[in-house]
Amino acid sequence: MSALVLMICAYAAIVIFVVVVAYRTVKIAKMPVHLRWELAPVPHEKGKSAYGGSYLEEYERWTRERESSMLNEVVYMAKEIFLLKGVWENNRGLWPFTFLFHNGIYLLAAAVALIFVSAVMLLFSSPLTPLDLALGLASILLIAAYCIGVAGSFGLLVKRYVDPDLRPFNSTSTYLNLALLGLVFATGLYAYFSTADYSLELGYFARSLITFSPQSYISVPLGVHILIALIFLTYLPFTYMIHFVAKYFTYHEVRWNDRPQSEQMTRKLNELLQQPVSWSAPHVKGDGKKNWVDTATEEMKDEKKSEN
Amino acid sequence: MKKSLKIKDISLNGDVPITELKIDELLPLPPPYDKIEEQPGWRQITEEQKGRIVCNLDGVVGLSLPRPESPEEEKKYVDLFVTGMQKLLSRENNWTFLQPLLLSLEYCAKCQTCSDSCPVYEASGKNDLYRPTYRSEVFRRLANKYLKPGGKLLAKLNNEEIELNWTTISRLYELAYRCTMCRRCAQACPMGVDNGLITHELRKLFSQELGWAPRELHEKGTMLQLKVGSSTGMSPKVVKDNMEFIDEDYSELTGFDVVTPWDREGADVLLIHNAGEILSWPENPAAFTILLNAAGISWTLASDDPAYDGVNYGLFYDDVQLARIALKHAEVAKKLNVKKIVMGECGHQHKALMTIADRILLGDMNIPRESSMTFLEDLVFSGKIKFDPSKNDFPVTLHDPCNIVRNLGIVEPQRRILRYLCPQFREMTPHGVDNYCCGGGSGFAVMSQNNFKDWRVAVGGRKKFKQILDAFADQPGPEVKKYLCAPCSNCKGQIRDILDYYGAPQKSGIIYGGLVELIVNAMVDLKEPFIKWEH
Repeated sequence: MSALVLMICAYAAIVIFVVVVAYRTVKIAKMPVHLRWELAPVPHEKGKSAYGGSYLEEYERWTRERESSMLNEVVYMAKEIFLLKGVWENNRGLWPFTFLFHNGIYLLAAAVALIFVSAVMLLFSSPLTPLDLALGLASILLIAAYCIGVAGSFGLLVKRYVDPDLRPFNSTSTYLNLALLGLVFATGLYAYFSTADYSLELGYFARSLITFSPQSYISVPLGVHILIALIFLTYLPFTYMIHFVAKYFTYHEVRWNDRPQSEQMTRKLNELLQQPVSWSAPHVKGDGKKNWVDTATEEMKDEKKSEN
Repeated sequence: MKKSLKIKDISLNGDVPITELKIDELLPLPPPYDKIEEQPGWRQITEEQKGRIVCNLDGVVGLSLPRPESPEEEKKYVDLFVTGMQKLLSRENNWTFLQPLLLSLEYCAKCQTCSDSCPVYEASGKNDLYRPTYRSEVFRRLANKYLKPGGKLLAKLNNEEIELNWTTISRLYELAYRCTMCRRCAQACPMGVDNGLITHELRKLFSQELGWAPRELHEKGTMLQLKVGSSTGMSPKVVKDNMEFIDEDYSELTGFDVVTPWDREGADVLLIHNAGEILSWPENPAAFTILLNAAGISWTLASDDPAYDGVNYGLFYDDVQLARIALKHAEVAKKLNVKKIVMGECGHQHKALMTIADRILLGDMNIPRESSMTFLEDLVFSGKIKFDPSKNDFPVTLHDPCNIVRNLGIVEPQRRILRYLCPQFREMTPHGVDNYCCGGGSGFAVMSQNNFKDWRVAVGGRKKFKQILDAFADQPGPEVKKYLCAPCSNCKGQIRDILDYYGAPQKSGIIYGGLVELIVNAMVDLKEPFIKWEH
């Protein structure tokens, strides 16, 4: 199979992935500051997060120093990301599949990172022992990722299809996403068992990507696996599956965003309040000229008031 | 019950309800409330009502939306719905919630992890219509199809078909009022998606663009408050007269000189009650007056409208109304030059003024604001007043108002008071930030049109009623008097209706009230019990 074609596909997929993910991330990050909408428990509340308490429990809190813990947030997110704690607690029937599915992805990502480390080692003629170690570990991660990834994605696919609670909410893309990722894992599994020195072959391919120098040949099973993985990588940022980015914002910028006003925030809020309002309902009568300040300070007339 | 409701069903067969609720499918209740034939059920919508108002969701009508007179009128509202969606997703018109809304619309995995956390869904016998995700998915598909470039083609290819027509919007409007926005679902969501927020935004779209909102929240709620001063209809003169009567009554009952101060400039504390307390539960404002005077607090009520009423129903359905009322509350506090505002026992007042308004009140309008929970805790443990906990030696449990506990994280202060003053205090299961909504949240407690009250009590409040009974399961009979502490005006309104609906005061001996009443009841200097068991 032509390594050159695969290399071109790889560069294209990586560029598309990075650009689209960056674009969508920046788009979310640049949205205007919103009204507070926090939700307990907020893990950075030091000494209180275990029961869901917040700094609003402090008497005259504005006279006190706020204590917060970044470590609590990290621990909370780690449990959520790696153990899927929320699903475990609230949707036990789905948990085995989604746990395998997500951890399959994490292991695959870790293995790819190790493959690139190995490629750098190959490039600089690293001593054999560290290289063997990296490739050996990558190999273990890969087979584990493929096995649990296949179980997770096809398990989820079946669960989504047969479960009457889930099925009405499925769309074509729901099945496509899972099938495509399942195919990534399945082709990887096949390639793993049909390629001698599998992780080394991958290391060579990664080295060729780094050096822009194509290998002469890649085995068909490995080539197919890489191609499908690249198709998935290209498709991923256009779907809701980039919730790994969005999740940062849903937690840190919404659920846990309890920041009081700062000078900078007040400045931004003042700008937002100058924006025109065009809501049409009779009590708003936004004409696209009145701004939020005018609208919010408008007096509601009452003829009966003087009678009381 | 119709199982496996499809998303596109919302657009079809607009003259008949999309689902049917049956009482024998609801969450079972413990004895003596377990006999289906003895349960009150809910009133049916009459043929006359069906001819006049839209009744096409679940056989329950909370909003009395008039039937359209012509296809042109239907089209007018459908078009407004589309412009409303555009505005809801625009920076100018919805900077207030744009980021949370878009995140929740775009990143839901539709995994249904949130469903079982919803008390309405569970109490209904898991009716698909009440899934937290159902209305959100309808809205998501409409926005994708009608606002995004190529949306119609993509909807077809992706098998996400849905039609935008009068049936869809009239059902969606009513469905926006089947969620109490308690946000238990948001807590359960691994993605951080918030279906309660989507409900909130849908309500805003209907109110701010189509001019559709429940009469109790809009005309009789925020509009009345902005025009007269209070959603109860009380003008400044009337509220002062009523408080004067309360002062007189409680002076007589307690032997204390109960005098509520008004409009004291420079006071340390501006206390803002939910004015509903003054009319429906006068013992609550009376207890505050007794306690604050006994502790020597420099405090005042304000008679400038609308600062004698902490209600802000704008929180539930309309950002413009929310901002108008919050600004007026702050203006009065500024005028009186008080050091801080203390929220009365009212959950949504806490959320509206303490956190939501925190990014509306700029500069010197951002006056410090404190919860009555922390304020009362400081007072109880200050040593200024002597208490005798044995005066409260009866079973007490605590209802956690969602807006104070789940939304603000104020969990322990009220518990520390109860553990100290109530020897038989016991928790509900679950409690704290995992509590269940009373079923009166998001304005439901004051909504009673047609047969909506029956629904909010029998379905919306069912899980809470079961929780209350379970908390007192060791002494279930009426011979043991029990106190359900609910430090929130709207929750009390809903709990009153639940208890009355099932005859629980008579069958189980349960009464309800606020926190401050228990505190005053334990005062050593009080000769007669403050809490009256006859409700």
